[in-house]
Amino acid sequence: MNRSGQDPEDDKGLGFSTVIASTVHDMKNSLGMLMQAHAELAAKLPPELSNSREQGIIEYESMRLNGMLVQMLGLYKLGVDQLPLQPVHIEVEDFFQAALARHQDILRSRQIQSSYDIAEEGLMGFFDAELVDSVVSNVINNSIRYAQNAVHLRAWVEQDQLVLAISDDGQGYPERMIEAQSDYVLGINMTSGSTGLGLYFGARIAERHQRDGVFGHIEISNNSALGGGEFRIYLP
Amino acid sequence: MISYNKRRFLIVDDFSDFRASVKGMLSQMAAQHIDMAANGEEAISLCREQQYDIILHDYNLGEGKNGQQVLEELHHAGLISPQCIFVMVTAESSQAMVMAALEFEPDAYLTKPFTRASLQQRLDRLVERKVALQPILAPLTKQQYGAVLQACEQIIASQPRYAPLCQRYKADALKTLGLHEDLEAQLQSLLADRPMPWALNMLANHWLEIGNLEQAETLLEQGISQFPMLPALFDALSQVKLAKGELLKAQVFLEQAVKISPNNSQRQAQLGKLARANHDPDRAVRAYRQAVNLGRHSQFRDPEAHLNLAGSLQDQAGDAAPSPKAMLEIRQTLGDVSKGWRHDPGLTARADLVQAKSLVKSGKQVEADELVRNASRKLGKMDTFFTAAAALEVASQLRELGQPEQADTLLGTCAEMYGDDPKIMAGIAEQTTNPAILQAGEQAQAQNREGIRLYQQQQYPAALDSFRAAQALQPRNISFALNTAQSLLRLLLTEPTDELREECLACLDQLRSMPSSDHRHERYRKLCERVESL
Repeated sequence: MNRSGQDPEDDKGLGFSTVIASTVHDMKNSLGMLMQAHAELAAKLPPELSNSREQGIIEYESMRLNGMLVQMLGLYKLGVDQLPLQPVHIEVEDFFQAALARHQDILRSRQIQSSYDIAEEGLMGFFDAELVDSVVSNVINNSIRYAQNAVHLRAWVEQDQLVLAISDDGQGYPERMIEAQSDYVLGINMTSGSTGLGLYFGARIAERHQRDGVFGHIEISNNSALGGGEFRIYLP
Repeated sequence: MISYNKRRFLIVDDFSDFRASVKGMLSQMAAQHIDMAANGEEAISLCREQQYDIILHDYNLGEGKNGQQVLEELHHAGLISPQCIFVMVTAESSQAMVMAALEFEPDAYLTKPFTRASLQQRLDRLVERKVALQPILAPLTKQQYGAVLQACEQIIASQPRYAPLCQRYKADALKTLGLHEDLEAQLQSLLADRPMPWALNMLANHWLEIGNLEQAETLLEQGISQFPMLPALFDALSQVKLAKGELLKAQVFLEQAVKISPNNSQRQAQLGKLARANHDPDRAVRAYRQAVNLGRHSQFRDPEAHLNLAGSLQDQAGDAAPSPKAMLEIRQTLGDVSKGWRHDPGLTARADLVQAKSLVKSGKQVEADELVRNASRKLGKMDTFFTAAAALEVASQLRELGQPEQADTLLGTCAEMYGDDPKIMAGIAEQTTNPAILQAGEQAQAQNREGIRLYQQQQYPAALDSFRAAQALQPRNISFALNTAQSLLRLLLTEPTDELREECLACLDQLRSMPSSDHRHERYRKLCERVESL
C-alpha cells in the first residue's frame, strides 16, 4: 500500500525480488510441463508400473513443489501490492469437491480416505476462491504427508464467519509450533520450511478478507476429531 | 452421472500435446464430439460453423488473440449462446484475467496443470448449474427479458446456491429493459450486504449514464479503496471526470487503469485521446502506439488510433519537421490505413491529409499538393459522411493545407447534418465566420424546436408540418429527418396510405450517409425496420 505511485523497479530490494519472482514463474511453468509430460507417460504404462510407489512420489512431490511455487509468487505479489482480492459468492461444497478432486490421484495411491462435512446444505461463502484455494490445497497437501488413513474437511458458520477446517489422523502439529503460531503468522519464525511458509501465507490471505471491521484469521490445533492436526481459516 | 457423449466440445490451445491430453481426458469421460483449434481465429471460425456445448479455451495463446479477446468477440458476433459453457484454462493465477473480465466473464477458470478428476468435477458442476438455470437461459436466448426476470425471482427464492448468479442475470435484464429504478434498488441492496465488484461497477456506470455524477464519483472512490486493482473502476472514474469537464484528472485516472491493465486497445486509445486534448503529445504517442499494436488482432481495430498516432507524432515535433524516425512511423501507420481500409474513401482521404501535413513540414510541397488533390477527389466519393468530430478535423486540415473553399464546403455539410447540436456549431464557429454556414440552419432549427413542442403536446399533424418544413430547408440534417420520419410513422399507424409510406421511406433514405457510429443510428435502424414491415 505504501508503495503506490512508485514503480517496483525503483527499489533495489524489490528489484531483486522481482528477478526471483520471474524465475519462480518460469520454474512453475517448467514444472507444469513436467507434470503434464509425466501424466501422459504414466497413462501409457501398464497398471503395475503406473501405480508404483515411485509414481506416487513423483506425483505428490510435484504437487507440493507446485503449491510452494504458487505461494512464493503469491507472497511476492502481496509484497508489491499486486495481489488484489477478488471475492465471489461460492458454494462451499463445490469448493471442497474441487480441492479434493485435485488431490484424488495421490489420495488414492496413498490409500488415504478423504471426506467432507458441511454444516448446512447449499452453504455459501463470499471469498477469493483462488487465493483461499491455494491455502487450502497447501494444507491438504501437508495433511496427506502426515495422515495415516484419513483427511477430513469441514465447514460451518461461527459468529457470522465462515470457517473452513482441514484435519487428519496424523501425529498433529509439533507442540512448539502451536504455541508459537502467532510468530509464524507474523512471519517471525520461518524455520520450519514449507509448513511455516504455509501458515504465513494463509494468515496473509485470511486477513485480506474483512467485513465491517472484522478480519479473517487462521488457527492451528491438535484437537481434531480424527486425532491429528487441524487447520482452520476464518472468513468474515 | 452426467453424460458427455452427446455434447459438443471445442478445445483451444496452441500446444498440440496439451490438446491431445485434454482430448484424452474427455474421451475417458465418454465424450465423442471433440473439435480442436490451435488459435483464436480457428476457434471463432469453428464457432461460426456449429454450436458447441462446452469450450475449453487456453487464455494465453502466444501470438494473436488471447482467450478473453476470443470470448468477447464470440459475444459481439453472437456466436456463443447463454447455454454454452466456456471454461478459461490458465497457466497461472487467473487474477489478472478476472480483472479484465467484468463484463464478459467465462463460466469458470481452470488452472493448469489439472487432472481428469479435476476437469470432470468442474464440468459436472457447470453442467448441473446450466440445467438448474434453464428457466433463465431459455428465455434469455430468445431475448425475452420479462420472462428472464420472473425466472430469476423464482430461483433466487428456491435455490439460494444459485442466487448470486441470478442476481447478475436479473441486473442485466433490468438494464436491457431500461427499468432504471428497479436496477438501482437491486444493486444498492446487494452492495449494502457485500461489496461485489460487478455490482459496484454497474451501479457507478448507471449513475454516470443518467448524469448522477457526484453519486457515481463517491461510489467509485469507495470502490477503488476496496479494490485498488480493478481497472474498470478507474475507467469509470475517468469517465465521470471527463463528464465534469476535468480533463486532466480524467487522464490521471485513466493512466492508473492503463498501468494495471495495459493490454486493452480501446483503453489505450481513450488515453491517447485525453492526452492529445491535454496537449501531452508524448503520452498520446505512447498510448496510440499501444492501441494500434494491440488492436491488430482484435475486432476493435480502429483506424482512428492509426490516424491519431500519426497526428500525435506530428504534435510531438511542434512546428519543426518530424525526425526521420518519426516520419517513417507516420508513413507506415498511415500506409496501414490506406491498405487496411482501402475501400473507405473518407478514411484514406484523412490519411492522405495527415501525410500531406508531414510533407509540407519537411518542405516537400509538390508531393503534398499531389496528396491533397488525391484526398479532395476521394472526399467527393464518400457514401457515408464523417462524424462531426472527423469533419471538423478534416476541415481544419484542408484550411491549413491551403484549401479554404473545400474546408467551407465540408463545414457547410457538417452544419447541415449536425447543426442542431449547439456544441458542434460552436466547433464550426471556431473555424469560420462565414454567415452562410453559421446562420443557414437558424430557420430550420426554429421549425424543429416548434415541431418538438407540438409533438410533446401530442399535436401530431401540426408537429409533422413543422418537421417537414425544417427538413425541406435542410434535407441532410439527421435530427430533422428522424423527427419527420417518426411523425410520419405515427400517422401511418392510424391511416396507412401508400403516399405517407413513400414519403417516410424517402425521408429515411436521406439518412443513408449517417455514420454508423452516430448515437442516433440505432433509432434510424429501428424506424427503417418498422416502416418496411408495414
